[in-house]
Amino acid sequence: MGFPEYLAARESLAVIGQPVITYILIISLLQGVLSLLYIINRKDEYYNYLIKFIYINTGLYVLGFIFLIWFHIQIYNTVLIEYPAVLRQMIPVDSSRFIIPLWIESEKLYFWAMAAFIFVLVMQRRKDIIAFIGVILSIFSGLIFFLSNPFKEPLPVVHSEITMWYSALGRGDGTIFQVAGTLYGRITYYYNSIYMWTHPPMLFIAYASLIITFAACVYMLIRRDKLYDEIAYRYAKPGYILLTAGMLIGYPWAIEAWKDSAWWWDPKISGSIMMWVLYSAYLHARIYANRDKMWSATAYLGIICFASLVLTYLLTYIVPGIHSVVQP
Amino acid sequence: MKLKNYDYYLIILTTLILFAIGLVSVYGIIYYNYLSVDPQWTQTALYGKYIDEMNSYIYPFLLLLLISLGLCIPKRLFEQDILVKFTAAVLGVTVVLIFLKGIEAGLGFILAVMITVQTAVLILTFKKSQAIRFEKEGYIIRLGSSLLHLGVVILVFNFVSLRDNPFHILIFWTGTILVVAGNIFSFYPGRITSLLVLIK
Repeated sequence: MGFPEYLAARESLAVIGQPVITYILIISLLQGVLSLLYIINRKDEYYNYLIKFIYINTGLYVLGFIFLIWFHIQIYNTVLIEYPAVLRQMIPVDSSRFIIPLWIESEKLYFWAMAAFIFVLVMQRRKDIIAFIGVILSIFSGLIFFLSNPFKEPLPVVHSEITMWYSALGRGDGTIFQVAGTLYGRITYYYNSIYMWTHPPMLFIAYASLIITFAACVYMLIRRDKLYDEIAYRYAKPGYILLTAGMLIGYPWAIEAWKDSAWWWDPKISGSIMMWVLYSAYLHARIYANRDKMWSATAYLGIICFASLVLTYLLTYIVPGIHSVVQP
Repeated sequence: MKLKNYDYYLIILTTLILFAIGLVSVYGIIYYNYLSVDPQWTQTALYGKYIDEMNSYIYPFLLLLLISLGLCIPKRLFEQDILVKFTAAVLGVTVVLIFLKGIEAGLGFILAVMITVQTAVLILTFKKSQAIRFEKEGYIIRLGSSLLHLGVVILVFNFVSLRDNPFHILIFWTGTILVVAGNIFSFYPGRITSLLVLIK
């Protein structure tokens, strides 16, 4: 097992995954249209079709996810990094394999969307909220297909690192020490880190739950019905617990992996603090949601919270920093 | 003022302070982006200055948050007039410390007081003491609220005063477990009760 087998697995993922993501896009477009039709006309006929499309889409997302799991297992099986003898004297291992998490690079948004679809199916409490989220998830699917497709050139950064390793091996020159050293750090503190396997998925599952809170807050303003506040709160609870735990888990990870690097008050961290305090404010405010003007204040706060969540997610792509893919 | 009204205004105050902390964070994002015009700026003294500046903006709001918690937590222990006197005394010492030794020392003091009071509240709650009063009914909710508040003050105290302490990470995990457990107990008292019955 080696580089050719890895390349074959990558090629296979693109071949089997691309149709799945295309079907997701098509079904999502129909789902979006049906959602809008239901929001406008409120006919049960539209909703019945809509919920079927959501079921199909969830199934497709899960199927695609299974393909991604398979690919990640193939990376583990095919790529072995055997460190040069000199480096082995400085590190505690002789070799490493990539245990790549399923929520990095172009797989992030996919994972978030899949979790959100599952939450929606579990919820199924109010048709209007389902239809509203149906529109949001259609947009998600479109963004995934065009901007963050995990099946089109899968895991480009991991791929470049693996390619770099085999190129250095092939050349057999001194660069192998540098490449091996870099990969040791990446594998130990990033890909295979227990924090990488807990911190991001907790946050993405929290985000998925908080989409429902957002939708319910919008309907709180429109319908002024206590039921929407209850739905918003019901999904804010798991969202907030996971958000809190997920964010806090990032702290020891940052200390371990980044040590003295410039990570404190990094934009993503500032964004996460902003998001967490806003959700804390929302949960505080809703205790008295039925008093004076607290009802609309709570609903607006819930909407602002979601805006801060989206902004925090996007910060990786729009503002430079240690979490970021953008260079200053 | 009735306890219900008092709690309502306290909640509004806490909400506003949290919102303000959110705004400080937004400022941090914009400022960081502005400073990044020079790609190497985090390698220079400017980064340390930026951290100090951000801390100096966030500390007053943390202090306000702690004052609001300071009014919130001991209200379970003291009568309202004693509570106001207690808060005024703690605040007075904090202000003196801020002027004499800086805001970190003041924050450290108020946090230490909060931890002591909240630990007392947690012990009394655990013992089902009648000496403490809660806005909400239910043993598990009260326990959750006590754990959550204690966890928050421990975490903040750890970040503000114990960054270089050898037990920093251990204290961090203690605070984290308390906060997460507090959240779960507060949000799902029914399920926790059922679980406890099942275990017994």
